[in-house]
Amino acid sequence: MTRTRLLGAATTLAALALATAPTLAQTKFDFWYGLSGDLSERIQDMCKDFNASQADYEIVCTSQNDYDTNLQNTIAAYRANKQPTISQIFDAGTLDLMLSQAYVPVKEVMAKNDEQVSWDDYFSGIASYYSTSKGELLSMPFNSSTAMIYYNTDALAKVGFEGLPTKWSEVEDVARKMKAAGYDCPIGFDPAGAWQWFEQFSAIHNQPIATKGNGFDGLDAEMVVGKGKFVQQLTWIKAMYDEGLIVLKSKDTGEVDQDAFAAGKCQIYSGSIAGHGSVTAKAIPDLHWDVAMLPMLDGVERTNSMVGGASLWTLKGKSEEEYKGAAAFYEFISTPKQAEWWSTVTGYIPVTNTGFEAMKANGFYDAAPYKGRERAIESLTFTPPTENTRGIRLGNYASIRAEMVKTMQNVLFNNEPVQQALDEFDVKGNEILRRFQATYKDAVLP
Amino acid sequence: MERRAFYRNSTLPWLLIAPQLLLVLVFFYWPTSQAMYWAFTLEQPWGGGNTWVGWENFLSIFHDREYWGTVVRSAFYAICTSALSMAMALTLAVFVDRSLKGTKLFQSVYVWPYAIAAPAAGVAFRFIFAPEAGLIGALNEAWPGVWNPAINGYQALAMVIICHSWLGIGYNFIFFLAALQMIPRSISEAGAMDGARPVRRMFDLQLPLIAPTVFFLIIINLISSFTDSFGLIDTMTDGGPYGSTEVMVYKIYFDGFKGFDYSGAAAQSIVLMLLVIALTFIQFRWVEKRVHYN
Amino acid sequence: MIERSRIFDIVTYVVMAIGAVIVVMPFWITIVAGSQSLQEVSQVPMVLWPSGHLFENIATAWARSDLGPKMANSMIMAIGVTTAKITLASISAFAIVFFNFRGRMICFWLIFATLMLPLEVRIVPTYAIAANALTPFQTVLDTLGLTGLIETLSGVRIAMEWNLLNSYPGLILPLVATATGTFLYRQFFMTIPDELVEASKMDGSGPLRFFWDVLLPLSRTNMVALATILFVSSWNQYLWPLLITTDRQRFGTVVMQLKALIPTPGGSQDWNVTMAGALIIMLPPLLVVALMQRWFVRGLISSDK
Repeated sequence: MTRTRLLGAATTLAALALATAPTLAQTKFDFWYGLSGDLSERIQDMCKDFNASQADYEIVCTSQNDYDTNLQNTIAAYRANKQPTISQIFDAGTLDLMLSQAYVPVKEVMAKNDEQVSWDDYFSGIASYYSTSKGELLSMPFNSSTAMIYYNTDALAKVGFEGLPTKWSEVEDVARKMKAAGYDCPIGFDPAGAWQWFEQFSAIHNQPIATKGNGFDGLDAEMVVGKGKFVQQLTWIKAMYDEGLIVLKSKDTGEVDQDAFAAGKCQIYSGSIAGHGSVTAKAIPDLHWDVAMLPMLDGVERTNSMVGGASLWTLKGKSEEEYKGAAAFYEFISTPKQAEWWSTVTGYIPVTNTGFEAMKANGFYDAAPYKGRERAIESLTFTPPTENTRGIRLGNYASIRAEMVKTMQNVLFNNEPVQQALDEFDVKGNEILRRFQATYKDAVLP
Repeated sequence: MERRAFYRNSTLPWLLIAPQLLLVLVFFYWPTSQAMYWAFTLEQPWGGGNTWVGWENFLSIFHDREYWGTVVRSAFYAICTSALSMAMALTLAVFVDRSLKGTKLFQSVYVWPYAIAAPAAGVAFRFIFAPEAGLIGALNEAWPGVWNPAINGYQALAMVIICHSWLGIGYNFIFFLAALQMIPRSISEAGAMDGARPVRRMFDLQLPLIAPTVFFLIIINLISSFTDSFGLIDTMTDGGPYGSTEVMVYKIYFDGFKGFDYSGAAAQSIVLMLLVIALTFIQFRWVEKRVHYN
Repeated sequence: MIERSRIFDIVTYVVMAIGAVIVVMPFWITIVAGSQSLQEVSQVPMVLWPSGHLFENIATAWARSDLGPKMANSMIMAIGVTTAKITLASISAFAIVFFNFRGRMICFWLIFATLMLPLEVRIVPTYAIAANALTPFQTVLDTLGLTGLIETLSGVRIAMEWNLLNSYPGLILPLVATATGTFLYRQFFMTIPDELVEASKMDGSGPLRFFWDVLLPLSRTNMVALATILFVSSWNQYLWPLLITTDRQRFGTVVMQLKALIPTPGGSQDWNVTMAGALIIMLPPLLVVALMQRWFVRGLISSDK
């Protein structure tokens, strides 16, 4: 049984080697992405539009359900020589891709295929995340977001707060008053939200997560979270949790923070600007709410927040025709019309200056349901990127992020002392980083 | 075993055994050697190359406190599920063995859990134990917050253990019943004539006679706690909260396929394989003894 | 039964009834929840009696998870594994038991060593070769210098590649590579009296004739028994299909879909659809176990595995 297979396989391969490959009239190429639900439908719409807009290439878009699975499957496919041409890799996977030698820099893809892109047009905060240390963009920014905080304005009014809080101390005050006024869940909190509660907090407070500019300058970066202001912040979160002002709302309790907020059960929550559209769609009637930049600790100057979401990586080992198709696709999604469409139907923000300006000029941000989204751009561009806010370039960062989720859970549910927990986190993070460094012993950081 | 009636061909047996040998070579021994290679080097996720590190991968997992936590947890899980499942199955088997009227109906039902895939049971039990859904939710309404496997690691572990034990009832029951039924009636009758009451008989007569089956099942249950646990944990808890339901197989899956630490996962796999081989070896020895009993 | 103590009989029935409740309860809840509407299933506490929406929920679950092709895949995988294992097991056991050839004991141990390690424990190693299952052969050819030789002679470079991702062989073959059935057949063949073999030899039949005309018919019951266990266990495979399938739409199995049926936090908590889906996914192996129980039990006991 296996023998005939072997013979068959060998003969087929021999035959193929001798035959000439026919040229196809229309080049098909694959795009794997990690979004699901209605965001996935939007991507399918976009792919249909691309296919309809020209006759040379056909893009085949497949959802892999979530970012983790997509990265896993992309790696599996790459090892088996069956990789897609384009894969959507989340922010945390950036360094894993950069050292993989499995990609073609997007600048190269576009240049080789004579596609014009004004690379300087991209928001520096976004471009820096996905570029080499010399500023060469390696992957195509696609769905970008940043973390925001959402407030129920009725609840704020009820406790007599004017406007929107800008400091954590104000948030604490407001939450306490809300609790006293009878709100069961002043702040909805999901420990899986390490991105917004930890990483973005560090960014806007100009706190490093690791040395060497969060890993930009070398693989030998060391974690320094236990030495920074996050210690203070996590202590504060724990205190608020113990006082009942921060309430757990996660997948495992059956209702996540965003849903609880949209249902009016929780009055404040923090999440991606990409959720702005979902909240609009899910909000109960008469819910009055608004979105704002993340609050600051007293006495600290705000710096820019980091971009979240994912970017599109072009993988090696495909044919010239497929790369042409990919280039055409990248060009398609960067047209102003497409960019505006994408930002309208999803909560993701435009990634270029001109895109943003065009939408502003169109009055996009003047009224509901899109009013408030421009604050995400404000947050991302508040200052030019500093050493600590260029992005996170740490190996196997998804694991480190998962460790932070575990750490926060430990502190909140197991009462582990904050300083001890964060010191342990640094140790664990360093183990992961050193392992990564050893695995890529001879690699050069791009 | 002695067999005198052999055939004399020299090529035919090779032809007959070749397919299975090939499969076993390609899918068992070769992969194991690959895993050894990964375990002694650092394998890049994208397949770029390997760096030789010798025993370092093994040393780093043995130095990892979390790894030992996983091992202890796996042991705890294995012992609890085996004990719970076997106890329930044995009780049922003993009573079914009395062969009262209508027992056949009960008997056929007790086997059903074996047919259920681990994730299917996981989904069903997840609903049953969901803190805000219709069943346990009622408990939470009376005493708010008493049951929440999302926060309470012990409850999450308990939930998975209960589900796994339920899954094992069918298999254990079949074997216990068969073993009990093999005890000759004459022995039980002799015991009864000596004035021993049923409970007495059970402890003094039946249990010792089915001891080989008990040992056999212990090993099988222990091994099953490594295999079926994955489907349960992946559907019920994803190893959480904060790793409190992470057992060895799940950690291998997580580190290898989500954490892209192929070498670490390979090293852990080798350790796990050795452990299971040791257990099976013990089982074979006991099976040999059982053959000699009869 | 030995004594007819009334009290003890009552105790027996009570215990058996409690046992039945424990065993059946999850099934019952699945049916009940699967047949309720969204409002009914969201009620706390839940009504423990089925409602009328079973088929409707099944249809929703079916459509949502695209269960049609996946049922086919599960069926192909289960039947593939079952037939392959039975075939290989019978001929391998035949070779080991009835022939005295050099290397017999080595082959025996090589094959039976695999009994010790179920697939879950070998996921990393098996995955390691999934990219190209023919690597061992390629390596042998390369080391012996044959690849170069053949290339010089015919201009054809043998680059054997057999990728297991997203394929039926990928789903089936690694599961066939353990010795479960072989062990069962070996035990059974060892009970065949020598006289039968002698008689067949005297009739002038060769070994294959003997196998086909005598052994196979005799092993029919064992075959059915083994088939039931193998069908159930391969249908219920979860971890391996998960790893080897990146194209869920075409190669996913039904059991892989269970996790996706669980209500997501963002969407509605429609456990009723989840339970209905779980019900149909549970059904095929459950039917096999319930209807073919006699065979199934026999198969388990004789294989000791």
